[in-house]
Amino acid sequence: MNKPNWLIAAGALVFAGVGVLVAPVIAHHASAPFYDSTKRVEIEGAVTRFVFRNPHAFLYLDVAGDNGQTVEWQIELGAPVGLRRVGWTPDSLPLGMIVKATGQPSRADGSHGLCCVRMTRQDGTPVLSGGRVEERQSDQ
Amino acid sequence: MNTELHTHGSTRTKVAKLLIVAGFTMAASQISFSQVVDSEIPDLAGTWDGGGRARPINDTTVPWGEDNFPKLNERALAYQEVWEETMAPKYDCQPASSPAIQYDPYHMEVTQWPDRVLFRYEKDDQLRTVWLDGRQPTAVDFSIQGFSVGHYEDNALVVTTTHFVFDVAGFDDYNGIPSSAQKVVTERYWREGDDLKITLTVADPMFLLEPTSYTTRWIPARAGYKLAAYDCDPESSRASVRFYPSKYK
Repeated sequence: MNKPNWLIAAGALVFAGVGVLVAPVIAHHASAPFYDSTKRVEIEGAVTRFVFRNPHAFLYLDVAGDNGQTVEWQIELGAPVGLRRVGWTPDSLPLGMIVKATGQPSRADGSHGLCCVRMTRQDGTPVLSGGRVEERQSDQ
Repeated sequence: MNTELHTHGSTRTKVAKLLIVAGFTMAASQISFSQVVDSEIPDLAGTWDGGGRARPINDTTVPWGEDNFPKLNERALAYQEVWEETMAPKYDCQPASSPAIQYDPYHMEVTQWPDRVLFRYEKDDQLRTVWLDGRQPTAVDFSIQGFSVGHYEDNALVVTTTHFVFDVAGFDDYNGIPSSAQKVVTERYWREGDDLKITLTVADPMFLLEPTSYTTRWIPARAGYKLAAYDCDPESSRASVRFYPSKYK
């Protein structure tokens, strides 16, 4: 798998303070069958789609590779029914917005999926305001 | 003629006696009902939060962990051998059912009427009706949520649900354990302070060697919270399936 623009590290990654926890994959299915929790991938890319539907929201990013090719990554988020309670809307991640995400990569060969992510804006600030983030972490 | 009159007179007497007896019976049942209302019907009504504020989120070991993980028979073990995650019908938006839906980390609304209790689940937009009026399922009352009857006792609501349809992942959402039309789920709901508590027991002789149980709670939802529509989207439901390295070609 070609991963020129993101860091892959085995084992736990220490997330430095500014990370925003975006809904873990809960309630509908376990993440382990689809994503490898022993690995971490960091990507940065532009939002091409934000599908805000239950049972899980999905964010799609165009991520540039070292070879000049663009790869679409699919990021699995929480259930909108829960995300809405803490301030997320279908407009929280507009098209073209640059975000950084770090999380567990998908298992299938050649796939570009990510789950259980911490996500920030390009400058490292939270996607949503801090108070809501704190509530989000304790709410589900 | 006389005989007819006598007969009519006798009928009137019988009818009068029956009315008196019926009156006493109705009065007695009203007394009995009001006694139940006063002493044995817990207030379960309201909107309840079953999310992470109330209890650990469900997973492969929650709520079925070391102490209560079901003892599977050979048939269930054989199903687990062929099982893979993407076979679960939830990836096509089939709703969760008992005993999983009670532990999903979502809100739930309970409404108590004299003849029924309604459980409305935010997860999968499901509505269960628990009949309190003595009715029983017919032979064809099978459904995803089954057929529920209940009664109040000792300040608790006791619910028995049968007539589930077969579900290849019908025991829980995480361990690939099926459930059969023989599944029986018993729930006991009661109040403990502000909490709504449940002890849920599952029996399914088709797959389980013995019944098993969990106990958990809901807490009151935040003031003003209304259940949101779930409106499961099949495309989103299956979006991660392509990341699964299937063992089948």
